[in-house]
Amino acid sequence: MLLRLDDVRRHFGGVHAVDGVSLEVEQGSIQGLIGPNGAGKTTLVNVITGYTRFQSGRAWLESDELSGLPAHRVAGLGIARTFQNIRLFKDLTALENVLIGMHVRRRDDTLAQLGTLPVFRGNEQELIKDAHALLETVGLPSSVGPRHAATLPYGDQRRLEIARALALRPRLLILDEPAAGMNPSEKQGMRELIERLNADGLTILLIDHDMRLVMGVCRRVAVLNFGKKIADGTPKEVSTDPTVIKAYLGTGGEREVRSAPGATGVDEEREVEQAAGSSRAAREPEKAILDVEDLTVSYGAIVAVRGVSFRVAAGEIVALIGANGAGKSTILNTLSGLIRPESGRATFDGLDLANAKASAIVKRGLVQVPEGREILARQTVMENLELATWARRDGATTRRRIEDVLKRFPILGERRDLSAGSLSGGEQQMLAIARGLLARPRLLLLDEPSLGLAPQMVDEVFRAIEEIHKDGTTILLVEQNALRALAIADRAYVIETGRILLSGSGDELLHNPAVRRAYLGG
Amino acid sequence: MDQQILNAIFIGSIYALFAVGYTLVFGILDILNLAHSAVFMLGAALTYSLVVTHGQPFWIGAVLGVAASALIGLVIEHVCLRPLRRRQAPPIAALISTIGLALVIVAAVEQGKSGSLFSWLWVDGANSVAFPPGTVPNPTWHIGDLTLEASKVLIIPISIALMLILGYVMRFTQVGRGLRAVAENPRAARLMGLDVDRMISLTLVISSALGGLAGILFGLALGDISPYIGRDNVEVRGLAVIVLGGMGSIPGAVIGGYLLGLIEILALVTFGSNARGGVAFAALFLMLVLRPQGLFGTRLRERI
Amino acid sequence: MDFFIQLLSDPIGFWNSHTLLISQIGINGVVATSMFLVLYSGQLSLAAPGFMAIGAYTSVLMELHWHTPVVLNVAVAVILAGIVGLLVGLPVLRLRGVFLAIATIGFIEALHLGVILNVPITGEGLGLQHEADPLGGVPIILVSLVAVVFVVWRLTKGRLGSAWSAIRQDEIAALSQGIHVARYKMIAFIASALIASYAGALEAHLNFFVDPGDSQYGVTRAVQVLTFAVLGGSGFVIGPVVGALIVTLLPYIFEGAGDYINIIAGIFLIAVIIFRPQGIVGRGGLAIVRPAWWPRSRVSAPSPG
Repeated sequence: MLLRLDDVRRHFGGVHAVDGVSLEVEQGSIQGLIGPNGAGKTTLVNVITGYTRFQSGRAWLESDELSGLPAHRVAGLGIARTFQNIRLFKDLTALENVLIGMHVRRRDDTLAQLGTLPVFRGNEQELIKDAHALLETVGLPSSVGPRHAATLPYGDQRRLEIARALALRPRLLILDEPAAGMNPSEKQGMRELIERLNADGLTILLIDHDMRLVMGVCRRVAVLNFGKKIADGTPKEVSTDPTVIKAYLGTGGEREVRSAPGATGVDEEREVEQAAGSSRAAREPEKAILDVEDLTVSYGAIVAVRGVSFRVAAGEIVALIGANGAGKSTILNTLSGLIRPESGRATFDGLDLANAKASAIVKRGLVQVPEGREILARQTVMENLELATWARRDGATTRRRIEDVLKRFPILGERRDLSAGSLSGGEQQMLAIARGLLARPRLLLLDEPSLGLAPQMVDEVFRAIEEIHKDGTTILLVEQNALRALAIADRAYVIETGRILLSGSGDELLHNPAVRRAYLGG
Repeated sequence: MDQQILNAIFIGSIYALFAVGYTLVFGILDILNLAHSAVFMLGAALTYSLVVTHGQPFWIGAVLGVAASALIGLVIEHVCLRPLRRRQAPPIAALISTIGLALVIVAAVEQGKSGSLFSWLWVDGANSVAFPPGTVPNPTWHIGDLTLEASKVLIIPISIALMLILGYVMRFTQVGRGLRAVAENPRAARLMGLDVDRMISLTLVISSALGGLAGILFGLALGDISPYIGRDNVEVRGLAVIVLGGMGSIPGAVIGGYLLGLIEILALVTFGSNARGGVAFAALFLMLVLRPQGLFGTRLRERI
Repeated sequence: MDFFIQLLSDPIGFWNSHTLLISQIGINGVVATSMFLVLYSGQLSLAAPGFMAIGAYTSVLMELHWHTPVVLNVAVAVILAGIVGLLVGLPVLRLRGVFLAIATIGFIEALHLGVILNVPITGEGLGLQHEADPLGGVPIILVSLVAVVFVVWRLTKGRLGSAWSAIRQDEIAALSQGIHVARYKMIAFIASALIASYAGALEAHLNFFVDPGDSQYGVTRAVQVLTFAVLGGSGFVIGPVVGALIVTLLPYIFEGAGDYINIIAGIFLIAVIIFRPQGIVGRGGLAIVRPAWWPRSRVSAPSPG
C-alpha cells in the first residue's frame, strides 16, 4: 500500500466534513474518489496534504506517518497535488512555475548566485532542461515556457499545474478535479495524460465529478457522501451500487431508484440524437418571459458557457440540469447581471440583462436564490427577510408580506430572532427561498436548492418550490438532483461543458439514458 | 486623577468618533482609507476658515465643514477606490491611492496662505491656530479638583449620541441592514437588489462626515488646528483603535477609542508624557500578535 | 529645468553642488531595496524606518560612547537589527496584508515614540549630534547602493528568489511545492531589516546628526518608502530604486509647481496606481490601464507583482 488512511475525521463546527474515512491506495494504481458536491472529497484531500488538521485518525505514505505534518512537509515526503480552482503562480512564466516545483530537490544556490559562479550553472541548466521535459510530458509545447501562466488557455493551465506537481517527483499525485470545466476533447486529452503518467509508474488519486473520466481510468473507485465512505470497489461495482446511484441522481420522491434513466442500456447514442432532434424546436414556447439567445460567457481564458439559447414562458417550471461544472450557475449569474456575457443576448420582459445593473434586474422581477444559499449569516432571520424587501418596498404591506412568507415557512417564524448562521442547512435554504419570494419575483431562479441537504429536507424544499409555482411564479431551476428536478419540471435542458446537450419535457428526459450518461458517465 | 479620567473619556470620544468612520469603511470594503485623517484635518481647517476668515457663525462653519468632508468621501470613492475595485486590484493599491489623496489635501491646506491658490481654504500655512475665545459659549465649572470646560465636556455626549445614532441606523434600519449585507456578502446583496456601488458611496459619505466632525470637535476643544493635526493625532492612533476593537467592528471602534484614551492617560500618569504614544502602539502591536481579530472582530479563513 | 541642464552640461559641477541630494538618493535607493525584498516575498511590511533607527542610533551611540571604529559600529548595528527583526518577525509574520502593515506600524511607532523619544541615551527629541567619520561620503553610499541592489538581484534569481516569488503569488500553492513558507518569509524579513539598518547607519553618518523626527523614523517615512516601491514598481529590483530616484527628484522634475509640489506628488501617485498598477518599471512596456470612461475599447494590464 502506498497510501493508507485509517478512520480520518474532520469536523467544522457541527458539520462532519470527513467522518471516519479509511482508504487504501495501491502502489502504481489510479484510485478514484468521487461523491456529490459537498461530500467532503476536497476536505479529505486537504487533511491528507496537511492543509487542514486531522481531528482524529491517522494516515501513512508507505511507512511515513502523515498525520500532524504541515503541508510543506507532506509535499516534501512526496505527495503532490493540484487544486480544484487552479492555483498557479499566475504572474510567473510556465517555466518558472515548474522550476518552483523543483524546490525540494534543488540545491541551495544562494552563495553561488551571489558569486555568479559558472561552476554552479550546470545544475541550473539541468533544471531548466528538466522543466522543459516536464512541460513536454504533460503535452505542452516548449513555446509555452516563457509565457505567463495567467495568459494560458484553461486546459493548458490545468496541464501546467500537473507539470508543476510532477516537478516534485512525487510518490503519489492527487488530482483534484483536473477535468472540471473542460470540453469533451480536452477531457479526452486529460484522460490520456493521466493514463500515460500512470503507465510510467506514478500512483494517482483522482477526484472528479466527471464519471466518464473516473470510471474510465480508475481501477478502483471510492465514493464519499456526507463525509462517509459509502462504497469502494471497481468502477463497475460502484456504478451499479444502488446507494451510489441514489447519492448521485437523488431519489425521485416515491419513484424507485431502479427506474433510473438508462438503466436498461439501449443504444444511447441514437437516442440522444433523437431526443435532441425531436424535442428542441417543437416545444420551445412562442411567447417567452425570458429569452436567451446564443449566450457565451468566459472567465478570462475559460469559456464556461458556449452559445446557449433557451426560453422560459410565464407560468413554467424549467430545469437546467447537468453535472457539476457544466456552466449552469454561470448562466444564472449572467442572467442576474453578476457576470457580463461575452456575446449573445438575454432579455427578461424587455430588459436587456446583458447590460442592466443587478439591482435593476431584481427590481424588474428576476430574482435569484443562489447556490450555497448565501444567506447573511451574521444577521438575524428577520433581518434577512426585511432586507429582502429592498428592491420592491411598498410601505405598510411589507410587514404583511413578511408575515405571509413566515406562514409558508413556519420554521423561520420560530427562529426569527436567531442569527441566520445558526440555522441548519435546510432551514437556511428555506430562508434563502423566502428571501427570494419577498423580492416579489415574476421569474425565480433557483440554483441547487437541494445541495447538501438530507433527503427529508430535500423533500420539503421541493414541496415548497411546487407550492410557489402553484401561486403563479415562473421558475428556472438548476439542479444536480436530476430526478427530482425533472419530476417537477415542465421542460428541461441538459447542459454539458457549457452547451445544451438536449432538451425536452421533464418526462421525456426522465426516461432518456443520455441524462444518466451526463451524470454518471458511460 | 479624576481630571485625568475625565480627559481620557474626552479624548477617547474623539478617537472613537474618528475611528468609527475608519472602521466602517474597512468593515464594508476591507480597505484602509488612509485619507481619513486628512478629512479629519480638513473638517477642522475649513470650519476655522469659515468662522475666522469668512466671518460666519460657528454653526454654519461646522455644518459646511461636515458637508465638505462628506463630499471628500465621494471623491475618495470615485477617484481612489472605484477604479481600483473595477479591476479587482489588491488592497495595497487602495492604500496607496488614499495616501495620494491625503497628500494632496494636506498639501493644499499647508499652502493656504494669503495670496496663494488656496487662501479661500486656509490662510495660516503650516501654523497651528485656535478658534478665538467666544466662538462658542464656553462656560467653565469647578467641582472639587475638577475643571469642566463646556467645549470639552460637551464633546462626550455629542460623540456618544452620534455613535448611538449610527449604531441604531446600522442595527435597526433598512439602510443599516443593507450596509451590513454589503459588508458580509456583496454578491448576496446584489442578488437582493441592492445597488452596491451606491451603498459604498453612502458608506464613504457617512464615514467622512464623522471624520470631519471629529476634526472640528478636536479643533474646538484642544485649540490646535493645523495641516498636521490628522497625521499627528489620529492617523496611526486611529489604526490602534480599530485594531483594539476588531477591524470593521463599530462597537469595537467605540470601545477601542475609549480604551486607547484610557491607556494613554494611564501611561501618561505612570511613565510621563513621552511614553504616551509608545504605550499605545505597544498595545496595538500586542493585540495584533495575540488576538489579530481584536476584541470584537471575527476570524477569517481562506478556502482552498 | 536648470537642474537637468546642469546635469547634462556640467556633470562635475553638478556632482559637487548636489552632493547631499545625490547621497540622499543613494540612501533612499538602499531603503527602497529593503522594501522591495519584503514586497517580493509577499509581505506588506512597513518596518523599514524602525530598522533604520536601530542602524542609526546603534552605530552613532557606539561611536559617541565607546569610540569604536566605524566599520565595527555599523556591523554591530546591522546585526542588532537582524536580531530585532527575528524577534519582531516571529510573532507578526503570521499576519497578512494590511494586518501585517498595521502591526509593523505599531512596531515602528512604539520604537519611535516609546524608545527614541523617551530614553535619555537617544537624546530624546533633540536627536544626536556627532562628529563621526562620514564613512567616505557619496562614493561609499553609491557603491553600497550598487552592491545592495546586486546582492538582492542575485538572490531573487536563485532558489531563494523562486521560493519568494511562489509565496508572493500564492502561499497555499507554495506549500504544496514543499516550500517552508514561514521560514522563507522570515529570511526576507530579516534580510530587509539588515539592509534598512545599514541604510539608517549610512544616513546618520552622512548628516552628522540623528534626527528623531517622524519624517525620519516614523510613519511618514514608512509611507514614503512604500511609495518608492509602489511608484517604481515592485516586480523588478530596480523598480523601487527608480521610484526612490523619482520621488526624491520630484521637486526638480516639477520645478514650476513650486510650493505646490506635494499636491502634484499626490496626484502623480494616484495616477500611477490607477493607470499603471505595475509601477513605472514593470511588465507591459509603456502600457497604461484605460479607465472605464476612456472612449476606446479597454485593454487589460497585468496586475502589480
